[in-house]
Amino acid sequence: MNAPSPALVAPRPERLRLVGQRRQILAVMHQRLMFGLLVYGGVIAIIVLRILWLAAFGDHAGRKEELTALIPERGDIVDRDGQPLARTIDAWTIAVHPTKVIGDKLALARSLAKLMPEQSEEQYFAMLRSGKPFFYLRRRASPALVEAVNALGEPGLAIEREADRLYPQTTLAAHVLGFTDIDGHGAAGAERAFDKYLSDPATRGQPLVLSISSGVQQALQHELQDAMTHFSAIGAAGVVMDVHTGEVLAMTSLPSMNPNVPGAATPDQMFNRATLGVFELGSTFKPFTLAMAMDSGTVSGPAEIMNCPDVLPAYGHLVHDTHPFGRRCSIAEVMMESSNIGMAQIADKLGKERQKAWLKKMGFLDKAQIELKEIGRPLTPGSRWGPFETMTIGFGQGIAVAPLQLAMGYATLFDGGIYHPPTILKIGPGHPLPPGRRVFTADTSYRMRSLLRLVVMKGTGRKADAPGYRVGGKTGTAQKLINGRYSNTINLTSFAGVFPMDDPRYVIVVMLDEPKATKETFGFTTAGWNVAPVVSKTVSRIAPMLGVAPDMNREPNMSEVLPYVQDAKQDAKKD
Amino acid sequence: MSARSFRSVFMVASCAGAALGCYLVSLRVASERSQLEDVESRIVLAQRDMRVLQTEIGTRGRLDQLERWNVRVLALSAPAANQFVSGGYELAKLTRTQPTVDFQAPVVMASAPAPVHTPAPIGQESRDDAGAPTATTTVEPESPRALLHQASLKIETREVPAQTRPAVRPPAARTSPDKPVAAATPAHKKSVDKPGLAAAKPVTKPVRLAKNDPLAPLPGKPSRKTAKDPGSAR
Repeated sequence: MNAPSPALVAPRPERLRLVGQRRQILAVMHQRLMFGLLVYGGVIAIIVLRILWLAAFGDHAGRKEELTALIPERGDIVDRDGQPLARTIDAWTIAVHPTKVIGDKLALARSLAKLMPEQSEEQYFAMLRSGKPFFYLRRRASPALVEAVNALGEPGLAIEREADRLYPQTTLAAHVLGFTDIDGHGAAGAERAFDKYLSDPATRGQPLVLSISSGVQQALQHELQDAMTHFSAIGAAGVVMDVHTGEVLAMTSLPSMNPNVPGAATPDQMFNRATLGVFELGSTFKPFTLAMAMDSGTVSGPAEIMNCPDVLPAYGHLVHDTHPFGRRCSIAEVMMESSNIGMAQIADKLGKERQKAWLKKMGFLDKAQIELKEIGRPLTPGSRWGPFETMTIGFGQGIAVAPLQLAMGYATLFDGGIYHPPTILKIGPGHPLPPGRRVFTADTSYRMRSLLRLVVMKGTGRKADAPGYRVGGKTGTAQKLINGRYSNTINLTSFAGVFPMDDPRYVIVVMLDEPKATKETFGFTTAGWNVAPVVSKTVSRIAPMLGVAPDMNREPNMSEVLPYVQDAKQDAKKD
Repeated sequence: MSARSFRSVFMVASCAGAALGCYLVSLRVASERSQLEDVESRIVLAQRDMRVLQTEIGTRGRLDQLERWNVRVLALSAPAANQFVSGGYELAKLTRTQPTVDFQAPVVMASAPAPVHTPAPIGQESRDDAGAPTATTTVEPESPRALLHQASLKIETREVPAQTRPAVRPPAARTSPDKPVAAATPAHKKSVDKPGLAAAKPVTKPVRLAKNDPLAPLPGKPSRKTAKDPGSAR
């Protein structure tokens, strides 16, 4: 009722102002507090969310991702039995940062020269004063040296671990394996051919399985090296191949190199004579000519009789034999005594076009189809290929192929006439056998068995026989072309053998470049004296490893050839 | 009423509890996983060490090195064709010994006394090898000692004893007539039998053994000397 009017109880103006200010200040404070609260709340929320996220999906602190699987820097290379042939290891590397050296540089140079004498004190001192940032002092250093260098206590010396390629078997199969360059990329051989496979993180965990067999390779390499030293040859090559699959079980080229130190190898050592080198391999070609003629029907078989004069004049040249028959002789005798005159006539009957077609079919006019990149191109007479060249090719002069191709040709001839491209990878689940291609008929392949066994039993290749293993094959002595002329004294001797001849399984081709005569060879440098024994020794070593059981009672069907051979000559000097 | 008013608090608490439980499970899983990874990385490290060692062994025992040792020391060669046997029968044939006939041996007449009938012990039926009851039985030698004596090398001359009792000789005695001479002169190759050698001086020095312990303190000496011993030994 008597309510006082506002005007009557109005506060004093200063008080009013004070109330207004406090309210304003309170509002501002609330705003600020709220803002700060939001900021803190936000930060805490972010942290909590992050923790929850990490707890749910995050990795824990001690996780070592790089160690969950053992994948080498570069894939291993193993042989067909799983023996490592190339591996990547952690090696010690010693380097120096000349700018970071704090100690006395002269004293340091002295102690370095004492520890690593490959460079002199002055060279080390010049290196340290050069002002350049970095020098390698030693790669793949031994732990003892690393310890000694570390004991110098110089912070400018850097000791690090670095992936390095190691070939545990050193020179074994060096040309098949190849080597890597300083950056770890393949520079030759399988390292180069399969560089992508070996360096790809997806595939390098699995080793590359080669078809090489360490034991066979070692036997071949050792026996060949022995012969090369004994006969003072300038080089040698050898191939062992599986007849049925084309797998190369051993391939060697001598002089060999150590792929662990590729820098120390000479070009001659790096040269792969088995694939990159092409040679006129001489009489080892004769079985092909005969098989071509038999398959084409121009020669009926080992029983056919032909004229074998002392000298055969042909197309303005004379063809000679080292041991001429001077009578009528059978094809079996021509093969057994390796008669150039007989084989020239067979090739002449075959003719140039057919010979060319056969050689093409056998792959002798193209590069060998193997995975390696070091492949030589065969040399043929080309445009000069006339009737006389056809004759010389018939006995192996005038065409140059790699020893690997010769092995391939023998494998084709004795695998029932079916060609399989040679390979250095093991045939297995990851690398199935490619389909073959028929070149010769199975009948021709079968009839060639007894002919080549005859050469080893009674002919020029008698020293190649390994008792019980039924080795068959053909010797070859080719004159080397020196300054455009065929030399009469400098030879290239080879032997292409197959064993066991009653059921051919393996081909072995060996070659010696420029062997010299010795006392035991009575001055001869022909293949029957120097490479044939290598085959005998190697086959007796490798055949048991390859599961070929010796049997003195088994032979191929010799009744196909023996009736057509007159009394066997008692020497093996001829080729 | 109180339950209704605290409902939100319970909700928050149960949510927080559930979240905490989930978090603890996750933490447990993470720690287990980290332990597993630890083990895995240890395995990988061990594999790496094995690989390093295998590489080192392989490098030291490389075929080239083995071949070099073989050429220099062992001189092993590849087996020849006649060193292989094709089966178990051929292998067994290799071990068959060839019987050698000594023509200088005195003729020893075979003697096979008639088997003697001995009565079986009462209440026990005598049996032969096949187990069939038999009336006749072979007599066993008296004792193992008698057997040993017959096979002994010490018998000077071998005379056929007029044995009547043992019908079947034991196997050891049966083989002995093959080489009676060797059995009769067992020691003819021994060096002691040769007079010159026996008279010769022995090559090796006789071993002299100490009568008593040389390190033991001497008897009758005063004990102060032994106390000095460590000093004099220095």
